[in-house]
Amino acid sequence: MNYVKRLLAAGAMSFAALPAFAAQNVTWWDFLSGGDGVRMKALIQRFNEEHPDIQINGTTLEWGVPFYTKVRTSVTVGQGPDVMTYHLSRMPLGLEENVLDTISDEDMAAAGLSKSDFFPASIAAASDENGALHAVPFDIHSIVLYVNKSYLKGSRFLDDKGNVTGIESLADFEEAMALAKANGSDTPLSYATGDDGGTYRVFYTLMKQQGGELIADGQVLPGDNLGKAAKAIEIMTHWHEEGWQPEQAEYPASVALFTSGKSAFHMNGVWEVPTMIDLAAQNKLGFEWTAIQIPTLLGTTATWADSHAFAIPAGSKMSPEKRKAVMTVIGWMEKNSLAWAGAGHIPAYKPVATSESFKEMEPNATYSSLAETAAYDPRSVIAGVASPVYDASINIISPAMHGYMDPQQAAEQLQAELQAKLH
Amino acid sequence: MAMITNRRRDVAVAMSLIAPFVVTFALVFLYPTVRMVLLSFTDAPLIGNGHWIGLENFKRLMSDRLFFTSLKNNGYFVLLTVVPTTALALAIALTINRLKGALQALVLALFFLPYILPVSVVTEIWMWMLDFQFGIIQPLFASLYGKSIPVFKNPYWVMPTVAAVTIWWTNGFNVLLFIAGLRNIPQDFYEAASLDGATRWQMFRRVTWPLLWPVTALILTLQLILQLKIFDQVYLMSKGGPFNSSYVLLLMVYREAFQLNHGGYASAIAVVLFVVIMVVSVLQFQLLRSRGQK
Amino acid sequence: MMQIRKLENSILAGGSLLAAVLWTFPLYWAFITSIRTEDRVVSDAAGLIPDEFNLTAYASALFNTKLLTWYWNSIATSVIITVVVLVSGMMCAYAISQMRFPGRKLLYGVVLASFMVPSQALIVTQFILMNDMGLINTWAGIILPQLIVPVVIIVYKQFFDAVPKEMREAVVLDGGGDYTLLFRVYLPLNWGITTALAIITFIMAWNQFFWPFLVVTTENMMTIPVGITQVNDAFGVYYARLMAVALLGAMPVAVFYLIFQKKVTEAVMISSGVKG
Repeated sequence: MNYVKRLLAAGAMSFAALPAFAAQNVTWWDFLSGGDGVRMKALIQRFNEEHPDIQINGTTLEWGVPFYTKVRTSVTVGQGPDVMTYHLSRMPLGLEENVLDTISDEDMAAAGLSKSDFFPASIAAASDENGALHAVPFDIHSIVLYVNKSYLKGSRFLDDKGNVTGIESLADFEEAMALAKANGSDTPLSYATGDDGGTYRVFYTLMKQQGGELIADGQVLPGDNLGKAAKAIEIMTHWHEEGWQPEQAEYPASVALFTSGKSAFHMNGVWEVPTMIDLAAQNKLGFEWTAIQIPTLLGTTATWADSHAFAIPAGSKMSPEKRKAVMTVIGWMEKNSLAWAGAGHIPAYKPVATSESFKEMEPNATYSSLAETAAYDPRSVIAGVASPVYDASINIISPAMHGYMDPQQAAEQLQAELQAKLH
Repeated sequence: MAMITNRRRDVAVAMSLIAPFVVTFALVFLYPTVRMVLLSFTDAPLIGNGHWIGLENFKRLMSDRLFFTSLKNNGYFVLLTVVPTTALALAIALTINRLKGALQALVLALFFLPYILPVSVVTEIWMWMLDFQFGIIQPLFASLYGKSIPVFKNPYWVMPTVAAVTIWWTNGFNVLLFIAGLRNIPQDFYEAASLDGATRWQMFRRVTWPLLWPVTALILTLQLILQLKIFDQVYLMSKGGPFNSSYVLLLMVYREAFQLNHGGYASAIAVVLFVVIMVVSVLQFQLLRSRGQK
Repeated sequence: MMQIRKLENSILAGGSLLAAVLWTFPLYWAFITSIRTEDRVVSDAAGLIPDEFNLTAYASALFNTKLLTWYWNSIATSVIITVVVLVSGMMCAYAISQMRFPGRKLLYGVVLASFMVPSQALIVTQFILMNDMGLINTWAGIILPQLIVPVVIIVYKQFFDAVPKEMREAVVLDGGGDYTLLFRVYLPLNWGITTALAIITFIMAWNQFFWPFLVVTTENMMTIPVGITQVNDAFGVYYARLMAVALLGAMPVAVFYLIFQKKVTEAVMISSGVKG
């Protein structure tokens, strides 16, 4: 009996003693795979090494619909992570679903941050109508035009310093694609034509370059915007008919078309920059590449853009110590976001974004000007990653541009279907 | 007196025997059914409370184009699978039935094998077979149609393709049932018929088909119920697209509930699906039974 | 005449074997793909004949995914489901078959009717229920809604009905109760049917996709059918690895089937009522 008591006491003591030594375990969910994912995993590993008292347990879930469906259900049933990555484009949807906790000024202070450390636009995007912050912006990312220079050699599209030049209209761009095709590029312009995000980003860029609005005042494609949407789909259909863009390319295939040298141009997110850098460093690319801001094809300079941010799930019952640990993680990530810029992104944290080291970073410097003309998704509960707008892109826009539906008709169906979701 | 206590004790024992099933049934079947009906009259999110809105969800359903598209697609899918798979299974079973020994076992095993695979294994394999760029079947399409066909992205091809994959996956089960049915037919029936000088076709018409009818009816009923509940294959292969041409009711329930957080509206769709399946299967069961008795 | 018959039979044999082999071609092709290198898989030279035997895809499937965890979840949940379904099913069937109690007819009617009820239509409220009970993302959450398999009761009842009454009386004279009867007499007399039902229930549970997919929220709680669909993204699109994971996922039941083929086909026949 005595022995048992002693044993129990010893057990209790060791349990009591444990917390002092035990690290805070922070459960982290993200959707970052590929080149992005590698860099994020490296950051997490570095954090864990530098912080014996805090350990991040990272899980990567499938990007897009699977990630956000899981987040929504897990958070509403109280099974969410401690911290997760979140797209700011989805903020209205996240707020409506009530899955995002408020991040107070004290939280920010615990992270060693303040709102003024970020660009006002991204803070606004991360806040609700009352100005309460619900996520900490991490980056700005957009699509860019990757160029395989070898197809443009000796043409008017390459100046004597080897810079891409002279693409100032749709006609210029189509001339360049025709030229690349004549020079042996199978599929001069690759993007993920059979994928929701890939299709949407190009569509939205073409919309915004006409000065169009997808959603305004609760109306989907109001007024002449319907015509602009039809025009955007028509342009993409034309590229398909000319054989300039790949048919039904899934995301990885669209990247492979460019990296294997079959495509002269590639429209995709900055997050593929590390892929190109790594391949070029291993001498596996076989051509000279660059990435530039998407040219102004339709009068207005604009590029689709979005932001990654960190968010804390609503309704979590974490202890103050755990919450402090989570904020420490977020703060550390922001301050080390130069490494994240290596994944092609533009940091949202001003001290890093305005630092000399970032300004010297290539090719980010070539396209960082786009931040000024970045076109974010409309602030609406049906927009953003894994939203009805993305669903409609794969369900309507992508098949339409492959010739299964007339552009005007497709624009009308897009309008009808999305409007029904806005009720 | 002793009789009564005995009887009471018997009832108590019986209750204890049925309790595990009855309790589970009430918990995970009956209660969710009742709750589904109640929820369908509210505007509740997936988790949390809503307001009673009467028949609002059902009214909305009647003006929801996607609902009718889904309903139509469910019907189309049933059309594409139920009778074709039954006919195919019958043909295969009749052939296997004529084989002998090890060969018979081998052929049966090969036809049955896909049935024991998890659905996601089936869809992964077929998505690879039909991959637009590298699929092994694409050269066949190219030689027939002059170009490759992105089957899951083409509004005309998507449902027939999902149906074909489904038949490949589940057909073995039906073959097996037919074989069991064939084995149940007494051999003397055939001997008698052949003494009458019946041709093989006549034997099939007069002996096999009528005696096999109960099994055929069973298969048709099981298939109908099963195929009306289509979700997995569509979710995994086409996600309901393109232009909603593979959108089905259960996918709509899933999207509304788990993606769009509309628990009430999703329940209303589920109620409709529930009723449709019950009505259709009872109707078919009655219909097939009366035909068999004629 | 005999000769024509013979020729016809060999054509039939050859033709049906060919058809059966073609039928399983997708599995063959998946296997061939899985033992190639990723580069070769997408190269034009990749023919129908295996030309290399490379196990990289399998190694990567085993070590870069949580396949082993998924196996464990699948085995554990399927075994628990099988045991519970069988035990509760045979108890209920015994009572319906051998005992008199109020509501007996009604109960059997409910069992028969629930055969036709689409449980998939209940996902929304079953999910809410699991959440109320705090069982989201747990084994119990995966298992509970899968415990209703009415066919087990129906089949057991038919077989218990057929047990001769004399076997009963001997035990009753010795003072044995109904539990003794069930587990000492009725169950041992029906071991064959029990195995058959166990096989069917296990395969059904093992292959279940929809419900686990809804109720599981993290990778380490996934079952095989759900986990397989995750690999797509973890790898990007790498076909050899995808096929390796798919085949590994299908393997346990497939191997079991190939070994106990007769038993499995018999089980399917019995449980669908076409063979008694």
